[in-house]
Amino acid sequence: MEGLIPESLDEALEALSERKFIPIAGGTDLMVRYKRWKNLPPSFPSLPLFIGHIAELSGIEKKDDEIVIKAATLLSEIEQSPLVPSILRKAISQMAAPGIRNMGTIGGNIVNSSPAGDTLPPLYVLDAKVVLLSKNERRCLFIYDFITGPGKNQRRDDELLYEVRFKVPKHTHEMYRKVGTRKANALSKLSVAALASSRDGKIDDFRIGFGAVAPTPVRVKSIEEKVKSRHVSELSDDFINEIVNEYGEWIKPIDDQRSTALYRKTVALRLLRAFLLQLKPV
Amino acid sequence: MGDISKPVRRFDAPEKIMGTARYVDDYFEEEMLFVRIVRSTRPRARIKSIKLPKLPSGYCVVDKNDVPGENRIKMIFDDWPFFAEDVVNFYGEPILAIAGPDREKVYELSNAVKIEYEDIPPIYTIEESEENKRPPIFGENNLFADYFYEKGDPDGAFRDADQIVEEEFRTGFQEHIYLEPQGMIAKYEDGRITVFGSMQCPYYVKNALIKAFGFPEDRIRVVQTTTGGGFGGKEEYPSQIAGIAAFCAYKTGKTVKLVYDRAEDVEFTTKRHPSRIRIKGAIKDKRVVGIEVDIALNAGAYAGLSSVVLQRAMFAATGAYRIDNVRVLGKAFATNIVPLGAFRGFGAPQAIFAIETFMNHVAKKMGEDPVRFKLAHRYKKGDTTATGGLLRSEVRLPEITEKIIEMSEYYEKKKQKEKDGKLYGIGFSMFLHGCGFTGNGEEVLKSIARLKKRKDDKVEILISNVEMGQGPQTTLRKVVAQVLGIPMEDVIYENPDTDKVPDSGPTVASRTAMIVGGLLYRVAKELKEKWKEGEEVVVEKQYRHPEYIKWDQSTFKGDAYPEYSWGANVIEVEVDPLTYEIEVKKAYAVFDLGTPLDKKIIEGQIHGGMLQGIGYATLEVMEFENGRFKQRTITDYIIPTAMDAPLFETDLVVEPYKNGPFGAKCAGELTLVGAAPAVCAAVEDALGINLYEIPIRPEKLLVLMNKEDN
Amino acid sequence: MKIEFILNGKKVEVNTDPARRLLDVLREDFGLIGVKEGCGEGECGACAVLIDGKIVHSCLVPVGNVKGKEVTTIEGLKDTEEYKVIHESFLDAGSVQCGFCTPGFVMATYALLKENPQPHEDDIRKAISGNLCRCTGYSMIIDGVKLAAKRGEKLWKD
Repeated sequence: MEGLIPESLDEALEALSERKFIPIAGGTDLMVRYKRWKNLPPSFPSLPLFIGHIAELSGIEKKDDEIVIKAATLLSEIEQSPLVPSILRKAISQMAAPGIRNMGTIGGNIVNSSPAGDTLPPLYVLDAKVVLLSKNERRCLFIYDFITGPGKNQRRDDELLYEVRFKVPKHTHEMYRKVGTRKANALSKLSVAALASSRDGKIDDFRIGFGAVAPTPVRVKSIEEKVKSRHVSELSDDFINEIVNEYGEWIKPIDDQRSTALYRKTVALRLLRAFLLQLKPV
Repeated sequence: MGDISKPVRRFDAPEKIMGTARYVDDYFEEEMLFVRIVRSTRPRARIKSIKLPKLPSGYCVVDKNDVPGENRIKMIFDDWPFFAEDVVNFYGEPILAIAGPDREKVYELSNAVKIEYEDIPPIYTIEESEENKRPPIFGENNLFADYFYEKGDPDGAFRDADQIVEEEFRTGFQEHIYLEPQGMIAKYEDGRITVFGSMQCPYYVKNALIKAFGFPEDRIRVVQTTTGGGFGGKEEYPSQIAGIAAFCAYKTGKTVKLVYDRAEDVEFTTKRHPSRIRIKGAIKDKRVVGIEVDIALNAGAYAGLSSVVLQRAMFAATGAYRIDNVRVLGKAFATNIVPLGAFRGFGAPQAIFAIETFMNHVAKKMGEDPVRFKLAHRYKKGDTTATGGLLRSEVRLPEITEKIIEMSEYYEKKKQKEKDGKLYGIGFSMFLHGCGFTGNGEEVLKSIARLKKRKDDKVEILISNVEMGQGPQTTLRKVVAQVLGIPMEDVIYENPDTDKVPDSGPTVASRTAMIVGGLLYRVAKELKEKWKEGEEVVVEKQYRHPEYIKWDQSTFKGDAYPEYSWGANVIEVEVDPLTYEIEVKKAYAVFDLGTPLDKKIIEGQIHGGMLQGIGYATLEVMEFENGRFKQRTITDYIIPTAMDAPLFETDLVVEPYKNGPFGAKCAGELTLVGAAPAVCAAVEDALGINLYEIPIRPEKLLVLMNKEDN
Repeated sequence: MKIEFILNGKKVEVNTDPARRLLDVLREDFGLIGVKEGCGEGECGACAVLIDGKIVHSCLVPVGNVKGKEVTTIEGLKDTEEYKVIHESFLDAGSVQCGFCTPGFVMATYALLKENPQPHEDDIRKAISGNLCRCTGYSMIIDGVKLAAKRGEKLWKD
């Protein structure tokens, strides 16, 4: 198997317009997924297109009221960037290990579209959009519309994920919790990212995303709406129970080699409850 | 000459730091063949047919028909074949191997082998094996071993008891995860088989090859390469790999390399035996006066070393406690799982977890503090052990306990219930470890150690024991140099080569420092007397147990070990009240392992052993489901990282053993056995519940705590 | 495919499958055995090398990704003053047992101290969290890193 190392974004898009490739930025997920046996190269399903080095695909900037992160930006750069909201930085700082964050990219984590992808719950609650480029087209989708299933998304074979962008929220409360198999270099049993803002006792923003508890990350705007515009004094036990129960309908985890469905669901809902309780006045 | 315990720089370290030390995978040769093992994809089945792909020239298949001698790995029962014959007994059992010059091609060919099976109903658990409703795997009743011993009058103790407490404990699989995966390189030249590789026991491998080839012993040579950790995982299993590599070399006449991919190593090599341990205690006047311990080990598909692992578990059944009326039962059950094998502690970690947790629970029931309760039962000098052996040395458990209680501020911290929003707990364990081979093992082995003083006045240590990280390259050099009064640099100790070294036994059972070191000490003493400058002098000695050791292997009566090391651990944990994630924050240890031959090396053994024990109790989950492990990569079977490891604080109490070199006793395994029960006690303290099983998973705690709440 | 990169300060070119793991290229094509394969899944860090000064796990790097980059292995570090300080510190702190993980820890230590010359205990634990050790319990490796930070004080600040 060979592949292509394009010099520029245009060359990469040109190549993609001609035949199917598997784009590789950091390679940290793909090298493991297609691993075969000791000392053999992995067996990719199509020719690899190496894009990690393309300068146009790397960088973090603030554009108007948005933060724009190019797809092949290293996780370690995002982790250290003061432009990036802390909820995403926290999530990234708990991903894998330093040596992997120095190779892995945010675009890789998004396109991988794993239910346990750790950047996804923060990106869901940030209402992030992804920009896809092909030779002749540019598309922009919300991340929750982009990801359609475990390992599945809307990227067409001729497209590259170009960038991810989002507005910086002005929130007063924030929670990120990864419950992993251990404290470093761990895969998530589940994760929760939540933002909220309450001003003068009124909850004017409430968003929560869950990872590794369903085929795709879970964010339910209809339930969020119920919490929004409430006064914190209305966060009664009954109300909180009702919200927790409603999320319970959406959280449908599995048993696997890392945890159990029961644990994932119970703990996800406990963390939700803990976050709602944080909003209550002391 | 200074204090033997004073740390020196390790002899093996510079090359390891620079990356120039050669482990088996670091040897490359032109014209080398690579091997891939084709394994059973059924847990239990009859092989109906094997269809091979067409082999290009230079590639070959090696299977049971290519074993020149007997297709059995020499161990205790010799039931484990190198290659499956008609029946496969576990998922991953080797059926054949493909060798060839290009790894890519070897991989492709091995995947193209088609095997048809006829399934046989499999047996996975101790209970299924015990019920014996399916065709037995071994003998008529699936039992690789079925033992029993008694002391005093256990029936009388139960009859007269104020109260009887019965509990059942479970322990899980544990995988070694030595950082260097297993591997061997084999050659066939001038009518001789030579095998190089990662191993703990060169003569085990040699003897296995003698049987497999039917060759006289001078036609087999085994050389250890720098070994990246063993922990028991490279005790018996290397014979399996050495055999397959050697058969390939014999058939092709080429140099053959067989190094496992980590995923193969995780899924298909030996692991620690899961156990079910039932303890029944007779309580009289708030003391355990009688005990019955029933130990069942899940032993996997072949007997391997399971019978001896079971013996060590049984001899550790009453822990560090004098109980005068004892009955211990033990069974090792055959199942359709990869053979379970040696792992640091060798049966003791299971038994010590059970007895320690049992003692904690009984103490709580009696309304007593577990530390004081345990001290009240502790062994003393002059007591007889569970097997009726005599404790001839001072048992310094009170001093050990006093030190650790003070060091850890145990009683002050015991009052604490919360810390930084987490549930806080602290736990204590007290334990022993029998030094050297179990029972009559050392008598059977009759180890030989040799020193050769060369004409240049340098001295070679000639033994078959290996450096695998635990430090003998340094400690044994120190022993010999100190006795001879020469600089350590003048002592040479190379990786053993069976052509050059006598059989000083395997590198197992924490025996290298105490038994082999003790033997070298005596050899060095004699060499010193015979020393002649500028001349070659060779001195050799054979190990003999001290005269006073009495042991009956048929009744398990007497001194199961020549000496014991002792210890206590304290562990602090914080448990998240929402997720039940367990953080082990601090680990304290005080040990009496005799004279430390190097304080720094011992310190390293303590930290490493304890962290393995902590992992055993917490993160290291391996579940068996539908005929296969669920965790079969190092991504899913996880060990602690630096962020999971606690802070350690340690101290020693020194009660020297007169036959150990400078008074050294056993160390390596002792450091692991007490950690799991201390972790368990700490989590119990944090949550206010009783636990009966390791690993302690947050998933399990959630279920238990929900039950508590309802 | 021809891929050029800088290896331990020298320009090199390999003609190979770009999907091959950098680990295999370093060991098999260049004989750099200080780069170890402990897992091949990015879990253990025994294969750690520096790419443009940053630590990475070479088992997860397709060699196509290093085109034009600077790769440094333990062999390339060996003659530096920084390495010597780490070497001596690991020796004195008892950081080594079986040694299979050690070159990876040396790389992680080097990468950490270059970025953060006076790390706290937590920084050290985080920096070596991608390197597994089964022998030491990490404590004496952490001592080695601390000692190297102290002894090499001025070196790390360059």
